[in-house]
Amino acid sequence: MADLPYGLLAEFATEDAIIDAARKVRHAGYRNIDAFTPFPLPRLARVMRIRDSRPAWLGLAGGIFGFLLAFAMQAFVSYTYPLNVGGRPLYPLSAYAVVIFELTILFAVLFLFIGLLALNRLPRLNYPVFNAPRFHLASKDRFFLCIKADDRQFDRDSTARLLREVGAVSLALVPS
Amino acid sequence: MTASATDILPTDQSIGDISRQLTGIPLHFPARRQWWIAMTIAIVLLVLFIVSVIELFTRGVGIWGLNVPVTWAFAIHNYVWWLGIGHAGTLISALLLLTGSEWRNSLNRFAETMTLFAVVCAGIYPVLHLGRPWYLYWMFPYPATMGVWPQFRSPLEWDIWAVLTYLSVSVLFWYTGLIPDLANARDRARRRGWQIFFGILALGWRGSTIHWSRWSRTYRIMAAIAVPLVVSVHSEISLLFAASQMPGWHSTLFPPYFVLGAAFSGFAVVSVIAVALRAMFGLGNLVTRDHLDVLGKVLLATGLMTGYGYVFEVVDTLYGGNSHDLQTLLNRTIGAYAWLYWGAVVFNFVPLQLLWWRIVRRTGWALLLISASVIIGMWLERYMILVTTLYRDFLVSSWRHYTPTFWDWSTYFGTIGLFLVPFLLAIRFIPVISIFETEKTLLDEQEARDG
Amino acid sequence: MTTLPKQWTSIEELAGDPAFAKKIAAEFPVAASFPPTARRDFLKIMAASLALAGLTGCEKSPFVAGIPYVDQPESALPGVPRHYATAVTLDGYAQPVLATTYDGRPTKLDGLPGHPATQGRSDVFMQAAVLQLYDPDRAQSPTRAGEPVTWTDVGAMFSDQRREWQKDGGKRLRLLLSQTTSPTLVRQIRELQSQFPAARVHLHDTSGERERIAHAIAAYGEPLDLHYQLDACSVVVSFDDDFLGPGPRQLLNAIKWAQARRRGDVPGIQLHCAESIPAATGAVASYRLRAAPSRMPHLVETLAARLGVVGASVNDLSAEERRWLDRTGAALNAAKGRALVTAGLGTGAQTARWVAQINETIGASGQTLKLTSPVADPGVATASLDELVIDMNTGQVDTLVILDANPVYTAPGSLDFASALSKVKTSIHIGLYRDETGHRGTWQLPLTHDLESWSDARAVDGAATIIQPVMTPFYDVRSRHQIMAMMLGRDQAADESVRKTWRDAFGESFDAKWQQALRDGLVAGNAPEIQATPVSGKIEPAPPGADGSDIAFRLDPTVWDGRFANLGWLQELPKPLSTLTWGNVVAVSPAWAREVEVENGDVLEIDIDGRKVSGPAWIMPGQADNTFGLWLGHGREQAGRVGDGIGYNAYSVRPAATPWLAQGAVRKLDRKETLAVTQLHHRMEGFDLVREVSVASPTLPAPSPQPSLYPPHPSAKNAWGMVIDIDSCIGCNACVAACTAENNIAVVGKAQVEMGREMHWLRIARYYVGDVETPRSYFQPVPCMQCEDAPCEMGCPVHATTHSPEGINQMVYNRCIGTRTCSSYCPYKVRRFNYLDYRYTPEAPAEPVHNPDVTLRSRGVMEKCTYCTQRIQAAHVAADKDNRDLRDGDVVTACQAACPTRAIVFGDINDPDSEVSKLRRSGRHYALLEKLGTRPRTTYLAKWNDGSDDEDDRT
Repeated sequence: MADLPYGLLAEFATEDAIIDAARKVRHAGYRNIDAFTPFPLPRLARVMRIRDSRPAWLGLAGGIFGFLLAFAMQAFVSYTYPLNVGGRPLYPLSAYAVVIFELTILFAVLFLFIGLLALNRLPRLNYPVFNAPRFHLASKDRFFLCIKADDRQFDRDSTARLLREVGAVSLALVPS
Repeated sequence: MTASATDILPTDQSIGDISRQLTGIPLHFPARRQWWIAMTIAIVLLVLFIVSVIELFTRGVGIWGLNVPVTWAFAIHNYVWWLGIGHAGTLISALLLLTGSEWRNSLNRFAETMTLFAVVCAGIYPVLHLGRPWYLYWMFPYPATMGVWPQFRSPLEWDIWAVLTYLSVSVLFWYTGLIPDLANARDRARRRGWQIFFGILALGWRGSTIHWSRWSRTYRIMAAIAVPLVVSVHSEISLLFAASQMPGWHSTLFPPYFVLGAAFSGFAVVSVIAVALRAMFGLGNLVTRDHLDVLGKVLLATGLMTGYGYVFEVVDTLYGGNSHDLQTLLNRTIGAYAWLYWGAVVFNFVPLQLLWWRIVRRTGWALLLISASVIIGMWLERYMILVTTLYRDFLVSSWRHYTPTFWDWSTYFGTIGLFLVPFLLAIRFIPVISIFETEKTLLDEQEARDG
Repeated sequence: MTTLPKQWTSIEELAGDPAFAKKIAAEFPVAASFPPTARRDFLKIMAASLALAGLTGCEKSPFVAGIPYVDQPESALPGVPRHYATAVTLDGYAQPVLATTYDGRPTKLDGLPGHPATQGRSDVFMQAAVLQLYDPDRAQSPTRAGEPVTWTDVGAMFSDQRREWQKDGGKRLRLLLSQTTSPTLVRQIRELQSQFPAARVHLHDTSGERERIAHAIAAYGEPLDLHYQLDACSVVVSFDDDFLGPGPRQLLNAIKWAQARRRGDVPGIQLHCAESIPAATGAVASYRLRAAPSRMPHLVETLAARLGVVGASVNDLSAEERRWLDRTGAALNAAKGRALVTAGLGTGAQTARWVAQINETIGASGQTLKLTSPVADPGVATASLDELVIDMNTGQVDTLVILDANPVYTAPGSLDFASALSKVKTSIHIGLYRDETGHRGTWQLPLTHDLESWSDARAVDGAATIIQPVMTPFYDVRSRHQIMAMMLGRDQAADESVRKTWRDAFGESFDAKWQQALRDGLVAGNAPEIQATPVSGKIEPAPPGADGSDIAFRLDPTVWDGRFANLGWLQELPKPLSTLTWGNVVAVSPAWAREVEVENGDVLEIDIDGRKVSGPAWIMPGQADNTFGLWLGHGREQAGRVGDGIGYNAYSVRPAATPWLAQGAVRKLDRKETLAVTQLHHRMEGFDLVREVSVASPTLPAPSPQPSLYPPHPSAKNAWGMVIDIDSCIGCNACVAACTAENNIAVVGKAQVEMGREMHWLRIARYYVGDVETPRSYFQPVPCMQCEDAPCEMGCPVHATTHSPEGINQMVYNRCIGTRTCSSYCPYKVRRFNYLDYRYTPEAPAEPVHNPDVTLRSRGVMEKCTYCTQRIQAAHVAADKDNRDLRDGDVVTACQAACPTRAIVFGDINDPDSEVSKLRRSGRHYALLEKLGTRPRTTYLAKWNDGSDDEDDRT
């Protein structure tokens, strides 16, 4: 359906208001909802049952990758061109430790950062909600709750009514 | 919220005002005059730097006062000094984020920014000090026609990896924290140019809850591993000296000694910048006297720990009783370069004691002066550590003095320009204080007050 | 090929094409480094450069006639060195050398093996002679009043002159000679006198040979050379005689000294030295007495009295002097027939006579002292320089021929030779440089360098060497014999007159003997020994010391009388005790310095009979009070681009009557000069850098075991090591000079040395122990220690310095990026860094002298001692060719080869029978800073402490 809008965007003035609203909306059976806030609201996330621990695993993977890479690199250098350097051992693990440590951290952070963007599908400079007239306040001091149109319970009128009931200060239909 | 953090910000202000105020700094820049004055000075220094480097590359490191035995001096010592300064930002930001000290939120942004450019200044020195800088790339592992690879037992090789890692991690950590504010600035921007500028930098951030939750997780993990990194980097720098057998260098005390010294000088610079920006942009409402107070305390603490390093270095030597180490200790305390040693002691620790008084900690200009003296003191300390060991090492027949030349100085002051120019540009174009975090802090405080 | 240079240079020369000049500059930087010159010179430089580039051998080249020391190969192989036996000269004495040439280009001189006077060893002047050969400031063509002329013009001039001389038998012709031992020259001078009987020959030498002979005449009644047989001595007493110091006799004395010193398990020779200005001899003396020069006659006479010489009376002595004389007298008595007493030039005729008497009494003559008629004998009656000056001033001289001397500079200031010279109608200066004299003379005729000459000379022991050229002269120059021949009215090939001399000497089967002589570099037979007894009769008591201070003159240990002033190698060579480079100082005693509050570098003014000169002070530990030391050889004006205007000219205040010791006044001016010294700190600060053993306790405590966390690395078949015997080192610098020549060590100039950037791979550390008035001195050569667990290698981030399987700590120049970590980590600070591009400094030597087997180091690169790795490789190749293992002695490092006392021994420590392994088992063996666990391959043998340790005894 081409003319199907993106969803309904409701504005709330305070932290508590949007959390309360989100709870009610979920209670009403809506699942496909999203919220936009100026800063992270862990309580809101809990209410919306939003949880994603993949970043942690990415960091771990990055760390392991860096660790192995650093070790392999240094061992390979000693292996491919063995030289007597000041009578030191050919494979001085203690000397390898430093670079191993650095690369472990470097790749952990790289994986984390790239992972963050990838999971969030960023960068994406335009997004439907940006078209909503008051949405620019989402990064300032207003809190927005959005019920997406592809939610199976979505219906312009009833959904709008519900949002008013839970105390939206303003309401906007976001075209897709 | 930790109790100490309550009311670090005056609660009689709305978060909307804050984001207007802060995004306003780049968008409608308030302090044009001071900024241009500062910028002019910075540019002059930068030009001096460029001239020095041209001279250096055309004639060679011989334009500096180096000799044998003093084959390392200004270049390495300023390298260590800058890198030390470059430690505060990430340390403050990451460590305090983990301990949940909310007061950090007013400081972390410009502290991190400062870090980046300090690390750049540090990073450029090892390149300049090479005899043949155009072969720098030989320090990286690549399949060379000679079939030779870097030598991973060398502390210098460790350096390259440590510094580059530290730089990249700092940049990523800084940028990750910056994205939401860039989005904010984008939304406040009215002029097209600004909208595009911030629009692109913000990567289309929209503050979706799922994004926020992933963001918080990532940011905290980054912080968690940035802290050991900070510690490791300067420990590693200290190995540049400790891994040798030279008297006065070859000591297990060096890693902690260097890390603490780094934090010390770093916090000093942060304090200076905090006071300066506070005055420049009228941020008294966000960088409050309480912040200065906390900074003062941190400075005092790290300073005292560094002082412990000084004391223990002496105890260590006396206890060890190695004749060459004792000789070096004498050279440091009563030798030709004693003024360095005692200069370091005085500048580092004497004005510092004033910070025991709350009133001093809470007075901007006092904190500024004390911090400045610490910065000088730490500079003297690095100088002292390098030269007093090298100018008189094991064999009496090779003893020789070192005197910096004009080019030594010009290169050094030049790097200050290299630091200031991009830093001034940064405070001109990006929010100097983390907006959303400050807002959060404020909001929490207001709640704590109301309910 | 041979005619190639002439053709295309002359074309371009006509065209005068600047682009071509640029091309030349690029092709031959040495040519570019010449001063802008007339096209004539340009042509010559071209020819020179091409000659240097290996295009030697035009058909008339005497070089072709040269006989290689080894069997002549079928054809010269490029890059394969050929060796020639010849000689360079110092003060007219032959220094027999083995010249190493690459493609007809000599690059290195070493003492001639098998020659009794060198035995393969060398001194600094011998090492630097090859650099003088390529000196771009040498006179390059005959000039008249500064304008270049041809040798034809010179020929014409001589024939005109000869007509003049023939009128009055040469009454108004004077020949001024420097000291010579050349049979050919003597023959030619004789011939000149037979042609012009009225002509007079004057002798001017700077090194005191005249005074030496005068003393001999005073003591023995006839002109004699005194040859010290130190190897036969067990006791030597020196009165201000620096016989181990620089000079033509240093080599022989040092060799014999070391032989005697090594006799038996304990030192076989003890040296008692009364010395005014500290020098090598006093530094190695077992018992040193510091005494003003004017005290020497009294001391000698008293010693004579103690030994029962008739007529000797005891003078009043200080306690110090008495203690020293007690011990010395006892030692001499105990060692009759094995003892020798010597006296220096400044000590006067009385001293010489007393010494002769004492030597007679202790049975020295024939045993430890051999007498011969003078080796340096011009063969004709000569007059002195003073007389010449008088005649010149009184207008009795029309033509003055100055042969290989520079009197305008070296004549005592009291004579004012320059103004006298201006009164001479025609003065002809024949010399290597257009120097101070050459500039004032009417004509300047350039000489060939010894290495380009056919000539001959005698070594100090009287043995003759035929000097053969090892390369084609590349300037428009002629040998002294050719020029003498012109004076005699002939035009001869370079070798003709020399051949004539020896044809007469050899008699029949000339060719065979000639070939033999050239091959060996030695004509069998040396000066016959003479029996002479000291003149008896009363010896006038020494005159009471005149008022004023003693001012002693010394020849510079590196630039000698000034003739080497333009050689960067020698200017930058640290002087034995002061480690001063690029200049000379006024040595003062510590007490005087304290009293007048003088520091090193404060400018002092010396006033001798109203003539004044000023130079920087140097406080010399152990120098006698009321005594000042001036060094001759500096302050030159026409030495060349390197040597001009360095230091002060001590000749200007030198009195003609007493050239070695004068009385004068010294005062401090309020000026200061910076001195380029390479070692600033001399106290050992209680570290055991130099260790000592004594007869009482002849072995050092065994070194503590050095446990290591690292597994040992497998060694190759050969493991190189070096042992340096500190007891034998006399600090003569030959090793440093040899290293400089062998390894293309850069000359960095005064300013860089002042900054502490001298490039010597091998330094002679010098330490003092004891109080500053009477210290004990130590010399310790410090090359790279080649540590097995090297801290430097661990520091390098790019594998630029690593360890070879043979245990050499090798430096890969082209891999070095110049982090200088290795040097920072080096506990011995033996690495040197090219802070700037030192390859083309104004002081840098000309390229042709460089050893082609050793890389030139560019800017920003670390360098260090490599144990002469190029020589090790060459030895490997040679051994592999014969399919055999390396034998002990196959590899000889440059420093080892040069050392006259054999203090440096190099070899394979894996071979238990090698000399170095044996020394490593010695009880005196120790490693420098061994506690650091660097496990050095270069180690030391402790110094013997002869005197007992108690301070009073150490006079």
